[in-house]
Amino acid sequence: MSKQNQKTRTIEEINQKILKGDVQVLTAEEMKKLVESSGVEVAFKEVDVVTTGTFGAMCSSGAVLNLGHSDPPIKIQRAWLNDVEVCHPGAAADLFVGATNSCEKKPFEYGGGHIIQELVAGNEVELRATAYGTDCYPRTAIKTTITKDDLNQFYLLNFRNCYQRYNCAVNCSDETIYTYMSKLLPRMRNATFSGAGELNPLMNDPDYETIGFGTKIFLGGGQGYIIGEGTQHSPKNLDGTLMVKGDAKNMLPEFLQGAAFTRYGTSLYVGLGIPIPILNEGLVRKTAIRDTEIFTDVIDYSVMRRDRPKLCKVSYAELKSGIINVNDKRVRVSSLSSLKMAKKVANTLKSWIEESQFTLTAPIERLPLDTVFKPMRQTQEIPFVSNVMQPAVTCMENEEIKIIAERMVTKSVNHIVVITPDGKLLGIVTSWDITRAMAESKKALSDIETRKIITAKPDEPLESASKRMAQHNISALPVIDSEHKVLGIVTSEDVSKLLGR
Amino acid sequence: MARILIRLNENVVSEPLVSEVILENKVLFAILAAHINSKGGEIVLEVPDGEVEKIVSAFRQKGATVTIPKLIEVDTNRCFSCGSCVALCPVEAISVIEDLSIQFNKEKCVGSVCNICVDACPARAINSIRYSNTENTRNNHTHNKLREK
Repeated sequence: MSKQNQKTRTIEEINQKILKGDVQVLTAEEMKKLVESSGVEVAFKEVDVVTTGTFGAMCSSGAVLNLGHSDPPIKIQRAWLNDVEVCHPGAAADLFVGATNSCEKKPFEYGGGHIIQELVAGNEVELRATAYGTDCYPRTAIKTTITKDDLNQFYLLNFRNCYQRYNCAVNCSDETIYTYMSKLLPRMRNATFSGAGELNPLMNDPDYETIGFGTKIFLGGGQGYIIGEGTQHSPKNLDGTLMVKGDAKNMLPEFLQGAAFTRYGTSLYVGLGIPIPILNEGLVRKTAIRDTEIFTDVIDYSVMRRDRPKLCKVSYAELKSGIINVNDKRVRVSSLSSLKMAKKVANTLKSWIEESQFTLTAPIERLPLDTVFKPMRQTQEIPFVSNVMQPAVTCMENEEIKIIAERMVTKSVNHIVVITPDGKLLGIVTSWDITRAMAESKKALSDIETRKIITAKPDEPLESASKRMAQHNISALPVIDSEHKVLGIVTSEDVSKLLGR
Repeated sequence: MARILIRLNENVVSEPLVSEVILENKVLFAILAAHINSKGGEIVLEVPDGEVEKIVSAFRQKGATVTIPKLIEVDTNRCFSCGSCVALCPVEAISVIEDLSIQFNKEKCVGSVCNICVDACPARAINSIRYSNTENTRNNHTHNKLREK
């Protein structure tokens, strides 16, 4: 077969070209344009490698630090870096800094992700540690400062990175919520999404033909390796993930940025890029995938359960346009990961390969293609609102206060829910409101009822409902369905009865 | 057009100050944002350039505090262009431009009466500046020294 009509190429051939400096590299973005304009055959002939990239909050990231031994030596039991408590995985002098470990003084503002970025940037970090002391490790406390140069090893070690795609988040409730998908305004006033779509590494090789154990990658501005499938890897559902490792001493703070999510905690934005060798025409077709072909679910994050309602499907093309349609509502959507940085990752990796600084590796083993993401086994159920709610005693807005007061006495309740003729929530009246009406000689129910009501949903955990009662200093929550129909009421008495059991 | 921020305290909040100033000075201006309850409030007005001095002194005479605010400050060194602020902004003052950077339009921003974007920035690159001509107290969340060099 002549070289012109060759239908496959090998990684060795590509590496020889890289070393000679005549390799043809395109970013995933450029590749898609080329395939569209010139077709698969031409693209296969012209392109040796396609570079991909993503830059997003990857909470399951962390770093392994080896401190060396102090004199006298200490067998660290607990340790803190800049007041962030870090894990001590064993032995004497290794630490694991998880990106979401948070600072005791500023738990939602500063954490492990920031520590990793500080160290990568070459900054000094304060180390505090305590121990119980042994004959071989007599020291019981230490306080010092360290930089990355003082560490024997400083490895980024991420259990679950590079999600192939991710949910789009909205909030259908009446209150703003703060999540790892950032701030979600009530009644779907905004949406957030994450992931680079057609630029994402796993989307460009969804069958894991070239991405496997031992693949060399761009990680945090340095080089890293894939060391296995990521936790929760679910490739059949297009929810693949990777476990990766790389020498953090050679990484760059621009590609590893500490982040803070209000009322959620801290994280680390990680830049990750994978070179895809174009070994055959099948890989040309795969790397030609467009945002219009990549779909994800719009999920209501206000439901405080593992299985949240899926409202609809949207494509990454729609997501990147800034507007999606959810149940006929136009919702403004913004990205949580950085597309600008994802492109920068792909472009940087491209230039490394072009400049012969980065060669490709063939995987030593393929990643599993059939793992599934199972829910946790639970041996104890927790109570939900529906388990303790009582039927609500109700009234209409036109009823007299005296009648309502009598109803409170006969039904022996402290709360009466005001409803519309078709059973929808209007307000709430408490025995205290009735007392106040008497004292101030008020006659109309509308003068004393509360109209701005905090509510609960039947499938919400009782703990969160009871937390909300405490937060707002109230003693009952009407339980409503999605159409605001009153299903019942949950009171602090019911909660304490259950907890006291 | 210039933006001014009117602060009303408990004593004047129930007075129809805005209507009075409009009628007495015969100047039309837009109310961009208002946050008012029985204890006081804040109103952001857009006033024609030539009339700013007149309007400011009219409000001050009626017992309101008036400042010409600097609204929100974005630390472009910290911003890594994720864009999570974009869809939150109710006045579309934040947008993604062609090179995928995030552009912040100070002219459109209504500032502290809104502040929706401030606590949603994972990079903590958005700081709201408390209005006062004398004191610029920043609502700065940052703890680390990453960018200080």
